[in-house]
Amino acid sequence: MTQQPYDVVSIDELDRIPVMHGLEWRPIRRRFDVRAHGVNAYTAENPGDWVVEEHTEGNLRHQELYVVVRGHARFTLDDEDVDAPAGTFVFIEDPDVKRKAISEEPGTTVLALGASPDEPYKPSAWEWWFEAYARSPEEGAAILRDGLSEHPDHPALLYHLACMEGKLGNIGEARGHLDRAIELDPRWRERAESDEDLTAVLA
Amino acid sequence: MSGWRAMQLEEIPARNNGWIPVRDHLGITAFGVNAWTKRETDGAVIAQHDEKGTAHEELYYVFRGHATFTVDGDEVDAPEGTIVFVRDPNVSRGATPIDDDTIILTAGGKPGETFTVSDWERNWEWNRRAFPLYRDKKYAEAAAVLREAVAAGADNAGIHYNLACFLSLAGDTDDALAELRTAIEGDESFRELARHDSDFDPIRNDPGFPT
Repeated sequence: MTQQPYDVVSIDELDRIPVMHGLEWRPIRRRFDVRAHGVNAYTAENPGDWVVEEHTEGNLRHQELYVVVRGHARFTLDDEDVDAPAGTFVFIEDPDVKRKAISEEPGTTVLALGASPDEPYKPSAWEWWFEAYARSPEEGAAILRDGLSEHPDHPALLYHLACMEGKLGNIGEARGHLDRAIELDPRWRERAESDEDLTAVLA
Repeated sequence: MSGWRAMQLEEIPARNNGWIPVRDHLGITAFGVNAWTKRETDGAVIAQHDEKGTAHEELYYVFRGHATFTVDGDEVDAPEGTIVFVRDPNVSRGATPIDDDTIILTAGGKPGETFTVSDWERNWEWNRRAFPLYRDKKYAEAAAVLREAVAAGADNAGIHYNLACFLSLAGDTDDALAELRTAIEGDESFRELARHDSDFDPIRNDPGFPT
């Protein structure tokens, strides 16, 4: 596939992929296939919704920069609250800081950049499963297989692929991928036992 | 407070020529990120340039105002909220403001490599000391500052080029030619720049001047 030398889009034209607690992922890195660093936007349509999901960067060890480009947010960084109207830059150097942001105005949008300072950037595996759940099970399974080509044997990608295959009724394939995910990371076993997508797989 | 910093963009002190040094001010070491306002020298927000020297991808976000980008010869209308991603480092890109208060965020890095701070950013402190001397026509003193920079490890093509300029104007032909050759070895684009740079008028007719 030949890529154009450049691309242009308005932030308002980005896809809106629901994630959780009102948080919508607005993919930028994936849309443009940015390869030097992570970059995405997140929008919360209603006050009180999440505009940055609660997480640390304990696994990826990324530095993260959040820029509030629309609306008004309130960040919680470990136990500290930070008022963040539009124009606020929040840089989190320490990957172990627990971070979350809540929207305080309709349509609050945050631009997020991230990468590790110690190694070349590699697109994060979560992008594939975030997108997979926004598509049909067939499309979702294809997206997750694509993710596994970039992150071979990634337990979460294997787990979510098992879920998609479970929804499609491909029980044998689902079981194989679930077993491999649990073999690589036994923590997936507990989640699988209460996951409706895997009921038929575990029957 | 530890492990994070939060501030408004306006709280980051601007440097020369429209540059708001977001990366340096916040201490970011994983990717390049800066903000730009209208430049005093040419009125642009983003100077027309390519990234051949760095091989960086660059992403631009119109944070405030309204601009017109020129990318690969195309004009792109870019109101607030526009994202322009230039993946090909060979493509010429720049932006001029439609609104005077336009601010553009830039983010960049080289795919497949751990981020390192670009030479132009590292050179800033040294050039900040040298250029007032240059403007006061104290060329030998300006050259001494950049010799100190090279000795301190800022051993890159941009520093060597400016050092060559100062030495040329100071009348130190041999060293100016040597520094210019070093600059061109590090970044071939300096050969073309030198052809039209009046700082080299004193040495342009020397047989050793790069053509």
